[in-house]
Amino acid sequence: MLEASNINVFYGDIQALWNISLAIHGGEIVTFIGSNGAGKSTIMKTIAGLVKPKDGNIVFEGIRLDRLPAHKIVDLGISMVPEGRRLFPEMTVLENLEVGASTKAASRLRCATVNWIHELFPILKERSKQLAGTLSGGEQQMLAIGRALMAQPKLLLIDEMSLGLSPIVVERILQAIQDVNRKKKLPIALVEQDVGIALSVADRGYIIEHGRIVAEGETKVLQSDGRLMEAYLGVNLRKKVG
Amino acid sequence: MFTQTIAYGILVGAMYGLITLGLGLLMGVMKFLNVAHGTFIVLGGYVSYWLFTHYGLNPYLSIPLVIVVMFVIGLVVYRVTLSPLLKLPNVGSRLNSSMLITFGIIYVVDNLMTIFWKPDVRSIVAPFTGRSMEFFGTKLSITGLCGFAVAIVIAVVLYLVLGRTQFGKHVRAATQDAEAASLCGINVHRTYLISSGIAIALAGIAGVIIVSSYSISPNSGLRWLLVAFVVMILAGEGNIHAIVPAGLILGLLEAVGVFIVGAPYRQVVALVIFIVILIFKPQGLFRKRRLTYG
Amino acid sequence: MRFDSRLILTLALIAACFIVLPLIVDLGSSTMNILILLFVYVILSQSWNLLGGYTGQINLGFAAYFGCGVLLTHLLWKSGIPIYLAITIGGLSAALLAGVIGLPTLHLRGAYFAIGTIALAEALRIVVGNVFPSSLSLPGSYASNFNVFPRYYLGFGIAVLTIVSAYGLVRSKFGLAMVCVRDDEEAAQVTGINTFKTKFIALLISAFLAGLAGGVYSFNRFYFHHISAVFEPIWTFEPLMAVVIGGSGTLIGPIIGSIFLIVLSEIFVQTLGEAHLIIFGILLIPVVLYSPSGLVGWIGWLRRVVGESTMNHD
Repeated sequence: MLEASNINVFYGDIQALWNISLAIHGGEIVTFIGSNGAGKSTIMKTIAGLVKPKDGNIVFEGIRLDRLPAHKIVDLGISMVPEGRRLFPEMTVLENLEVGASTKAASRLRCATVNWIHELFPILKERSKQLAGTLSGGEQQMLAIGRALMAQPKLLLIDEMSLGLSPIVVERILQAIQDVNRKKKLPIALVEQDVGIALSVADRGYIIEHGRIVAEGETKVLQSDGRLMEAYLGVNLRKKVG
Repeated sequence: MFTQTIAYGILVGAMYGLITLGLGLLMGVMKFLNVAHGTFIVLGGYVSYWLFTHYGLNPYLSIPLVIVVMFVIGLVVYRVTLSPLLKLPNVGSRLNSSMLITFGIIYVVDNLMTIFWKPDVRSIVAPFTGRSMEFFGTKLSITGLCGFAVAIVIAVVLYLVLGRTQFGKHVRAATQDAEAASLCGINVHRTYLISSGIAIALAGIAGVIIVSSYSISPNSGLRWLLVAFVVMILAGEGNIHAIVPAGLILGLLEAVGVFIVGAPYRQVVALVIFIVILIFKPQGLFRKRRLTYG
Repeated sequence: MRFDSRLILTLALIAACFIVLPLIVDLGSSTMNILILLFVYVILSQSWNLLGGYTGQINLGFAAYFGCGVLLTHLLWKSGIPIYLAITIGGLSAALLAGVIGLPTLHLRGAYFAIGTIALAEALRIVVGNVFPSSLSLPGSYASNFNVFPRYYLGFGIAVLTIVSAYGLVRSKFGLAMVCVRDDEEAAQVTGINTFKTKFIALLISAFLAGLAGGVYSFNRFYFHHISAVFEPIWTFEPLMAVVIGGSGTLIGPIIGSIFLIVLSEIFVQTLGEAHLIIFGILLIPVVLYSPSGLVGWIGWLRRVVGESTMNHD
């Protein structure tokens, strides 16, 4: 569905991504894991169009993305939940959701989609008239995901969902995400700091280190390779189990 | 006599608010300071004046035409001079550059207007000019009443557009977080473009009121720019909906001040108000809200 | 600017030209007047640059300080005070004015500071227009003693003084503070710089110099039809233009910009009259947008290109 080939991304003169090639297939959950500053968020931002690669290309359902502005990429069906949520603090919960359906296609389905999000995250219905800036962390994350889903995406990108959230809230949100993935066959790309969460939910994973992909494969396979886990993620699985 | 003063203050104050809307919109949405705002007000006045003298068109009826003309001018100004500034990384330098550029625009447009319309002072003299109506013993000038009505209508329309329409939501989203807005599928550049058109159109509407109630000349823009500045400071940063109320307050303060010290000191009164606000309440009189509803 | 001997020699030569030329060649009064105006613009643009280019405070009401200097110098000189003292007091009073009316505005950030300055300058213009509605002129005895040379050399001297002071200021610790405030005021505060004091002192210095420029201008004029005209925004616009086009935040930029401005003015005023300002306004826009380092940036680019090709030669 989405293919990126030989992507090189620079922030000014500093290279952030080196020759990245990846693919995301229909219906799957893919995760990008790695240490802080490895480049995971940069990959998301590049796909979403906030950052432009110097070389390489990204193709989504046959259309080249890397030269398009971010709002056109949303039009094509890719929606991102950005790092730090980036809600509109002085708009209400309902307005944040409504604004999420700003593309022509999504705006036609707006009412129905709002109902769907309210089913998915009932707390958002309760808080409809509240200003987004007054919500708790978990509620904000739910709203951010809900807003991204309002665009009726064909591919959802989630950047650092679990940051600053309690395990219970994270669990709740993960369930909702998996629900959406299964029911709507929506592929999801997940960038996660927390390796445990990432591997529990994803079908496939990419391990990113210093802007390069150092390992990829099905999560079962990645998990079972203890040396891989320890070397790149500092995860000692033996200790975890024991 | 005092009710006369109050009435006058309210009518003038509403006009002060109307004058400021365009400036406040541009500042609130894009953080651009349009120092040429007064110049565009005068330009709008000249368009209306031209329509009046050539076609006998009642200035208040000319408003839709003025809106169209000034809207297009606003689009051009944005496209040519302001949109390149969005590439600048830092809001401070965007602001500074917008001031420098629009300062240059003043000289271009003022002198073009001088060439087309000569430096004379112009005003629209129509059958209703200078006439008043009486309400319970207070005289209200017709032009003042019309100006008041236009101001209120425009303020309400703006409130509804920003609050209830999709476009309005796009504007508010782009104001609060432009990058997140583009992630929602909003074309932020186009939103800015249209907002600029609206801002200049608002200046044009104010110009129509001014040429009907007062007078204009190619260099008179600065005077109205200063009024708009004071109202904008009173309203507080980004508070579009506080602008007309702030204008009313300024109008009332000025009217009462002139009532106390006498008409020749009108400018001194305005200046004193301005300095007092700067010293004591530089953040404005109203609570800080960025285009909020609900 | 490195202290290499070639640079010093060039500067000394240029200065010598300015000093010696009028003595050996009869330049004619209109050329002398243009040169005096050039000196005024150099002083004005250097001082605006100190505040705007180096400290990042865009002051759109600069005409107030210039006008103050013009007015006070004229009045004091008329009442018998020697011209050098009159000009100095003119400068000091401009600084005082800046200090008093500038104080409330310095708390304001960016946009509101500019707004405050333009409002106060305009208010001052109106007040001055009301206080001095009729024309001002010097008594006949002054006219009969007229000699353009002292005016020329005084103007040149103050211009040189301005450039040298600007150089010293920019190179000093205070100059560093100025640039820090410009680049990031919050960060500057965090590193312990008293940003308010820095902005205030920069304002005072630049207003003082603008007042001196007003004094030089006043010295060269006997008659003012409407004295409020020297408080008009054009006296902010033109130094601003000179700085932006020449290259803000540099010492040489305002000088180049002033020369450019005067030359262009002379060319266009003949053909276009007031409309020459349209050209200036139009020029300003692309410079701000695409070439913020102005002509100085171009020269630097040229030097690099030429330097590279000469290096390849070796």
